[in-house]
Parts: sequence; C-alpha cells; structure tokens
Amino acid sequence: MNTAAERVAHLRLLGRLDDAEEQARSALAAEPTHPDVLCELSAVLLAKKRFDEALAAADAATGAAPEHERPHRLRGLALSAMGRHPEAVEAGYLAVSIEPEHPTVATAYAEILQRAGRLGDALNVARLVVTMAPHTADSHFLIADITSDMGDMVTARAAYTEALRLDPQHALAQHDLAVLDLRARRPGRALQGLMQAGALAPGQSTLLPNVAAVLWRLSWRLRICIWIATIVIMTASGRSAGQHTTVAQLLAIAALVVGGVLMWHSSRDLPPQTRPVLMAALRSDVPLAITYGALALCVLALVATAVTGFALFGAFIILVLVALALLAVVVGLFRRGRR
Amino acid sequence: MSDDALLSSLLSAVAAAPEDVPLRVHVAGLLAERDRLTEALQHCTHALAVEPGNPAALAMLQRLTTLLAPQPESPAATPPPDPSPTGFDWRQAEEQVADIATPDPADHLIPSPTIEDIERPKVRLSDVGGMENVKQRLEAAFLGPMRNPQLAKAFGKSLAGGLLLYGPPGCGKTFIARAVAGELGANFFNVGIADVLDIYTGASERNLAQIFEAARRAAPCVLFLDEVDALGQKRSHLTHSSSMRNTVNQLLSEMDSLGGGNDGVFVLGATNHPWDMDSALRRPGRFDRTLLVLPPDAPARAAILEYNLRERPTSSIDIGKLVAATEHYSGADLAHICETAAEQALAASMEAGQLRPLTTSDLVAALREVRPSTGPWFATARNVVTFGNTDGSYDELAAYLRKHRKL
Repeated sequence: MNTAAERVAHLRLLGRLDDAEEQARSALAAEPTHPDVLCELSAVLLAKKRFDEALAAADAATGAAPEHERPHRLRGLALSAMGRHPEAVEAGYLAVSIEPEHPTVATAYAEILQRAGRLGDALNVARLVVTMAPHTADSHFLIADITSDMGDMVTARAAYTEALRLDPQHALAQHDLAVLDLRARRPGRALQGLMQAGALAPGQSTLLPNVAAVLWRLSWRLRICIWIATIVIMTASGRSAGQHTTVAQLLAIAALVVGGVLMWHSSRDLPPQTRPVLMAALRSDVPLAITYGALALCVLALVATAVTGFALFGAFIILVLVALALLAVVVGLFRRGRR
Repeated sequence: MSDDALLSSLLSAVAAAPEDVPLRVHVAGLLAERDRLTEALQHCTHALAVEPGNPAALAMLQRLTTLLAPQPESPAATPPPDPSPTGFDWRQAEEQVADIATPDPADHLIPSPTIEDIERPKVRLSDVGGMENVKQRLEAAFLGPMRNPQLAKAFGKSLAGGLLLYGPPGCGKTFIARAVAGELGANFFNVGIADVLDIYTGASERNLAQIFEAARRAAPCVLFLDEVDALGQKRSHLTHSSSMRNTVNQLLSEMDSLGGGNDGVFVLGATNHPWDMDSALRRPGRFDRTLLVLPPDAPARAAILEYNLRERPTSSIDIGKLVAATEHYSGADLAHICETAAEQALAASMEAGQLRPLTTSDLVAALREVRPSTGPWFATARNVVTFGNTDGSYDELAAYLRKHRKL
C-alpha cells in the first residue's frame, strides 16, 4: 500500500471519514488509477453509506488491479448494500478465490451471503472464518449474527457469549445478545444487556428504540397480569361488585403483592442508571408513555379496590385495557406500514 | 549624528519599546554591521519571540547565524584529492548503485512541528460575543486559578492539568481557545491531527513529543490540541493498531509531565466526541476540567450575524427576528445562512441590473434552506447522557438537554 493510501486508511480507522475522503480524492487527482487509493476511497464511501460512489470507486480499482482481492471484495460489499445480491455474491466469491486463506476476505463473503439470504452458505463460510481466526471476537460475532438470523438461538447465544469472553468491550455483541434476550422473552436480561451495551458505546442509535421495545414487551405482561387479576376479582365478587366485599379486597391485595414481587424480581439486577434510561425511552415514544400512564391508572384502580373492597373498579380497568389494546394495534399497524 | 550616537539612541528606543519588532530588527542589523554579532543575535531572538513568523527577523537570524558560523578553511589549505589510482573509485561505485531507484522525497518526508506554528493571539474573551456562561465557567475553572496561583494554592487547587472543550461542531471551540491564550498573554500553538498522526511506526509519538517540547520552549504557551479524540481514542478500540495505541500512551505521558516541571504550558483540547476519548485522559492532572461549548446563545447569535453581515449591503435587517429563529444553529451555520442570503441577493441584483441590498426576508428564506448542523450531535449526546453519564461527567450537557426538552 502506498503512503497516500495508508494515510487514508489511518484516518478511516480513526473515524475521520471526511478527512479520509478528502485525502483520497487529492491523492487520486495526482494518480487517478492507483488501485490502493481507489480501494481506500471505496472503503471510506462504504463507511459513509454512499454505496453508488463506493461501487464506482471499487469498479475503477477492479479495472486497475483485477488480480487483487480487495477491489472485488469492496465491489461485493457495495453491491450487497445496494441490494444487487447475485452480482455481490459473484464479486465476493471472486475475492475469496483470489485470497482463500484470509479471514477478512472470508468475513466479507459471509456477510454478502447473509444479506443475500443464503444463510446456510453464510454459516459455512463463517465457520471457516472461525477456524482461520479462532481467538478473534469478530469471528464468533459473525457466527452469532448469522445463526441469530436463522433462528438458532442456542448457537447464537453461545457465539455471542464467546465473542464477549474474548473481548468484553465488544459493544455490538453485548447489544445483539440483549436483542436475543428480548426475542427470547427475557425482558429483564435484555434491559440489563442494553444498559451494559450503552455503557460501552453510548453513541449507538438503536439503544433507545430497543429499550422502548423491551418496555412494550413488559407492558403486555403487565396488561395480562392486570387483566387476569381484574377478571378474578370481578368473578369472585359476582353480583356484589357494586358493594364492599372482603373477597375483592383480599384478591386485590394479593394481586398487588404478587405484582410487586414479580416487578422486584425482574428488576433486582438492573444497574442504578436504569431509571433515567427508562424515562428517556418513555419520552421518546409517546404511545408507550400513554400506555404506561394508563397502566399506572389500572394499578391505582386495583389499589382502590384493595382499600374499598369495591370490585366495580374492575370495569374501569377493563375499559382502559381494551383502549390500550386498540392503541397498540393502531400503533403497530402504523409503524409496520412506515417500515 | 554619528553612527554610534544613532545606535545609542536606537538602543534607548528599544529599551522604551521592547516589543517593537521592526526596531529590534533594524538595531540588530546595525549591530551586525559593527561586528557586534552576539548582541545583534540577542535582539533578533527577542524580536522572534515577540513575533515568531516575522520575515525580516527570520532573514536577519539567518544572516547572523551565517556570520557566527565557523568559517570553513580556505580552499588553498584543503589538500587536493588523492589522484592515486589505488584510492576509492567513485565512478565505479556510482555505476554499481546506478540501478537503485532514487527514493521519492515526498514519501519520506516526515512532518515535524516547528516554532512557526506558534502565534500570539490578540483576541480576548471580550471579543467572544455572548456566551456569558462559558466565559464565567472558563474564568472560574481555568483562568482565575491561572491568574491567582497563590490563592488557588491556598484553596488546594492544582494548576496542573488541562482543559477539555467539548460540544457540537462549529460552535467556536478554537476561537475560545485562542481567546484563552490572549487572556493569559501566552503564545498559542494550534495542533491538528495532521500535525501528529503519521503512518510510520513511532513517527506519531515522536511528533507529539516534539510538539510538547516546542510548547515548553515557547512558554508561556497555550497548547491547543484540536480533535483530541483522534489522538486519544479509547485504547480498547485500538486493539488492531499498536501504533495508535502508542500515540495515546505518548499523549498520556506528555500530559503527565506537564504536572511536573513544565510550568507555563496550558493544554487545551477540543473535541466533538469526548465519549470516544480514553478515560485515562480525563484523570486528574490531564484533562481533568471540562467545558461544554454549546451553540451560541441569543447575544452571541446576534453578534455573529452582525459580524457576517458587516461588509455586505443590507437594508433594515431585523436581527432580533433572526436571532429568535436560529436557536441551536452553530456559528458556522449562521455564517452559512448569511452566505446563502447574500447569494440570493446577488442573483436578484444581477437580474435587476442594480444593487439590491440584503433584507430580512432574504435571510429568512436562507433559514429555510440551512438546517442546524448540530442535530445529529445532540442525538448522540442524548444517548450518551442517557447511558453513559454514570460518573456525572455530562451533567452540564444533561441540564442543557433537559432545559431544551431534548432529553
């Protein structure tokens, strides 16, 4: 690699993408077909998500040095990001044919295959990557990422754990393991993982939306618990729902105690910084904030039942829960449509 | 007036106005003519200390060093080359190495910082429009203790360590650093990442050491490390680059030595991403004081807009209206607004065939085109405050975000 290309690479690794692009372009003004500089420019543009331009630079690099693997690899990655998967796979395959023993090249090929939906092939390549670089956290992270997409949660969890064992500061592995926990319906652990990922790399943009997703999941659990408790209280009170009954009072107290214990159990391992994070997530998602506000009202209604023994408060709870279900459906449809 | 009387009179004038660089250089020239080279050199050095880049002083310095250098022996005294055929055969040696390519000097040029990069800024904090909060914090945390070392010592406040300015891009961190140097009456050494980072192993560390050494020589000096996050990235992120890790270590080591016998060097760092910096850099004795430099407040925006419009034809500009509409805009954004509005007014003038001055509506129209560039920074900052403010480092930022309903 020549001096200019190394300088660009240096700046790219430091995250100075604008400076890196400027350096690359001024180097190319003097030597427009230098394959190393073209490759570096392509890598910078890929990092800046300007895929069309990255592809153009990679194409030029391929023309200048077709015998090198890197131009083909960058072409493959750019094409893959643009959704041109058959061409991307072809370019990725060409790169690994030229340099079959290099973990970076194989990693890129596995990613291209993964994005093309060929998860089985991607996993095979990822396994090869692990054999080439078994002590690198990124190799295991690749396996975890692919198996997570395949729905193989057991392998994915093991691979994420291994990646974190090799590099405890691997924020992406920490984050994705938390997402895995969320999908496995373990909201407490998911929240804990997201908090740890946030402490490692607070700049990740997906953190807060994922915390909100955890809260949505928890809100459904709360709704189900409150719904069951309300139905039980109203059924046990029977026709006396409009009057004071000891059964309603006792059941409401039991529901509140059980709910409180469950809440404590789920949140006991969370770090002290969790509360502001939860508040921030609520502020970032208005329907979620409304949902939690309404659930707080339901809990208050349960408290009122526990104090007064009037099961009729249950009617209010049921109304609120039905309204919340409608809200969740509307929000879900709207967000799905927007995606 | 005789020559010596003239010189005496000029020397008196120099004593009365020691900062007068042209006078110093002139006196140095006269002294050199009289073969008083050592005295001439003293005047020249003083002139360069006041104005490091002064071309006349530099030329004089070159002349004096040539005169002071030991004269080579006369050619007559040099023994003639040995004509004996048994001596070393240069022609043959040249032929042997003829096929070796001459290295490209540009590829091997390792930049090293020089004293020419050091200036003495004239700007003061009073030249910074608005931003009273920043000025007060700067005075309390940094300038006050620097100006009153005895008082600071009495209260157990250490003068060692640096100050880290952080905030969204384009909000005047460099200008404030320059003003700090002006306030302290110190030299200002602005160091960017290009001055330090080098692809050759060990070169970045050496550059950094040279920069700190130059700053120590130029004391009192404000050493301003722009984009310091690039020089002091988290070492855990640099597992693949031992060279960059070593640069961070070198920076830590240089910062530590500032706490020792390096009085008069004040290190200021600026960064848009303090969260990417190695935590070791924030420990006591290093960048242990931080200052959040936010987008300009209303008085600062008014000052920036007025400054950017001062040399442009304008007609009854409603600065108050513009100030109200430009909250969260950085100084650079405001300059861009003025530039865009000026382009529009110029286009209208060319179409009309006569000068049409800039109006408030031109600026309001430009406002619709230029969005505040600080938005993405605040999006990241919100995440950082939410997830990464366990030690309270970003309390000031959190308070600002809360106040502006961004958190």
